[in-house]
Amino acid sequence: MDVRRRYVIPGDTITSGPYRPEQNVTLVGGKKIVSTVVGVSEIYDNTVKVIPLAGKYIPKINDLVVGKVIRHTSLSWELDINSCYVGFLPATDVFGRDFSAHADELATKLRTGDLVAARVANFDRTRDPLVTISDRDLGKIDSGDLVEIAPGRVPRLIGKRGTMIQTIETATNSVITIGQNGRVVVACDDAEGLLKAKKAIRMVNSMAHSTNLTEKVKEMLESGNGAPRETTTTTITTERREDDRE
Amino acid sequence: MGGREATMVLLDENGIRCDGRKVDETRHVMIRAGGLKNADGSAYIEFGDNKIVAGVFGPRDVHPKHMSDTDTGILRVRYHMEPFSVGERKNPAPSRREIEISKVIKEALEPAVMLEMFPRTVVDVFIEVLQADGGTRCAALSAASVALADAGIPMRDMVAGCAAGKVADTVILDVNNEEDQAGQADMPMGYMPTLEKITLLQLDGILTPEEYEKCVEFGIKGCMQVYELQKKALSEKYFDGENGRGGSGRSQKR
Amino acid sequence: MAEAAIIDSLKKARIEELLEQGKRLDGRAFDEFREISIETSAIPKANGSARVKIGDTEVVCGVKIQPDRPFPDSGDKGIFICTAEMLPLSHPTVETGPPGPHVIELARVVDRGIRESHMIDVSQLVIKENKSVVGVFADNVVVDYDGNLFDACSFAATAALRSTRSPKWEFKDDAPALVEGSEADLPVGTIPVSVTMVRIGQHILVDPNADEWQCMDARITITTNSDGNICALQKGGHNGFTLEQIKECGKTSVRIGAEIRKKFDGISAGSDAKQ
Repeated sequence: MDVRRRYVIPGDTITSGPYRPEQNVTLVGGKKIVSTVVGVSEIYDNTVKVIPLAGKYIPKINDLVVGKVIRHTSLSWELDINSCYVGFLPATDVFGRDFSAHADELATKLRTGDLVAARVANFDRTRDPLVTISDRDLGKIDSGDLVEIAPGRVPRLIGKRGTMIQTIETATNSVITIGQNGRVVVACDDAEGLLKAKKAIRMVNSMAHSTNLTEKVKEMLESGNGAPRETTTTTITTERREDDRE
Repeated sequence: MGGREATMVLLDENGIRCDGRKVDETRHVMIRAGGLKNADGSAYIEFGDNKIVAGVFGPRDVHPKHMSDTDTGILRVRYHMEPFSVGERKNPAPSRREIEISKVIKEALEPAVMLEMFPRTVVDVFIEVLQADGGTRCAALSAASVALADAGIPMRDMVAGCAAGKVADTVILDVNNEEDQAGQADMPMGYMPTLEKITLLQLDGILTPEEYEKCVEFGIKGCMQVYELQKKALSEKYFDGENGRGGSGRSQKR
Repeated sequence: MAEAAIIDSLKKARIEELLEQGKRLDGRAFDEFREISIETSAIPKANGSARVKIGDTEVVCGVKIQPDRPFPDSGDKGIFICTAEMLPLSHPTVETGPPGPHVIELARVVDRGIRESHMIDVSQLVIKENKSVVGVFADNVVVDYDGNLFDACSFAATAALRSTRSPKWEFKDDAPALVEGSEADLPVGTIPVSVTMVRIGQHILVDPNADEWQCMDARITITTNSDGNICALQKGGHNGFTLEQIKECGKTSVRIGAEIRKKFDGISAGSDAKQ
């Protein structure tokens, strides 16, 4: 599996080759493929994309997100989902089809400041994302600590087939809810384990582009206390921006 | 403005300017990406004695609602000077000058920012001039562009700013405060290096057609130097993780 | 306003739970400030300036000195005005436009603390009685917000004023004329130190951060002078304090104020110190 990676900023030319532009790149002059964000560019197979290292979450249908209730009307709640758009949770989603604006008080179910695990039910560019909490494992989050990471690094935190997150959960005896929007809730009965799990998550966040990340996280989790000093060089630093301007 | 009698030596017989620079030399420039905890993206620039901080929020909900556009995101830019940033204490309320500069900076950034990806939202750029020393709009534009990239807002290109001008009948790069006051022309410029497009251009003063062309060329040269420092600032924050400041900052900051 | 920020309910619960165990979320003692950094001459072109950080809260203060007309009822006194503004880049909830009640209160409380301490001897700021006086403007701008702006602005203004070099004017031809090359320190005396405390339940916390600010029932800002006396005070928030609590806050402000005051001792015009 040959992936060519490189650090890029907006305007950096990634390649002029015959590749298909995917996420976070733009075509300039019909030939040059240019990054539109700060991130790591990947040329893989015949495609080019950039994994962003900053920015807000862009909703996708079926994504699990962690939202914070910011206000409610008599018919719906509004959730901050770390996105450009506010998540819209209709009262009927919680009260069912028999919801009555007169009889049912929204504040009895969810209050401002509450965190919820929700799924994006519908989203297109013409309206705010519609979210639902009526499914198994969804709904108000009653315990745990919130940690925020860059949404672009969520896949690394989950790892291949969930290996990374399972490693952290097993080692710290914690339960971790990961929102695709970069909001992570860590629940753990043991204060030490909680601290360690949070440290591991922050570590994945800040080192999302280095190799053997799972090994490093394991090492930290198994060590007596705290993260090992980060001394690794990443595989991509050497070829960093050699063909920036062509 | 142009042709005013110079009361000081703006350019000596060796081609050295009043602050010791050569004609094609910019002042010392330092740019730092990030730095603010609450902003989605931020940057700080020192451009000579200019000290400017820029903060970006968004894309986010538009308030007031009627300003939002169903087809695209919008950009709002506020350029503002602190009361203590200039010689005589400035009234904190925005002046006509600040409102105009806000507009030209906004229009200089708009071609770069891919607002069409975020309909019904706004990207707010707030620029605060802590100390002013001539050429604030170019420095502000350069900082704003880094702050936008730091906020992860998709951009076709960076936008770098630098001015060119004329003193003692000579075209110079990066006009300082004295040269702006006593010189013959000042031409602030904003430039997108990869797309090779000029997105901010103003002129105060008289230039011959030849000088005009040379001035624009000088300005682009200055912008390219600033661009290198913009890249350096973003690299330092995002790609030099081992040096302690790294990572994406915001979320890992305690 | 940052007052409108919403804290997530899990964190709020954790803060309150820890307080019952005598702990704060960031590990501080109840009467402990966060790290305070004071950098003077941050804005060299101003007559005096300071950049103050309390934790992640950051304030820049610049002092401008210029001749002014005296107020009609006090022709034998110079003018001192201290302002405060929250820059819109300091927090997502800050709006542009005229300041709201929170910011106006902030500016007035900071101004009052310094004014009532008589830190600046305005009687020495007269160029020509009833005609022309020296005006001292200390403008605070909040660059980043993490709670306790009252103390951050007060520290910034105090440090900036202590570092100020003032030009001199003489009265000539019915107008103030600048005396070239003649500068002097401002006539500054006592060092006012403001200490802000919040009450959360039965607990009183010094120097609340943004999260604690969101959880507070009531707050109080007490300014003391170099003699260890109380010179200005402001209670705020939607609830109150008991007499016992108010007395305790008074004692705390004198004790903590005396410690913080040491940080200002070394600051004078031309000291360029980073404390």
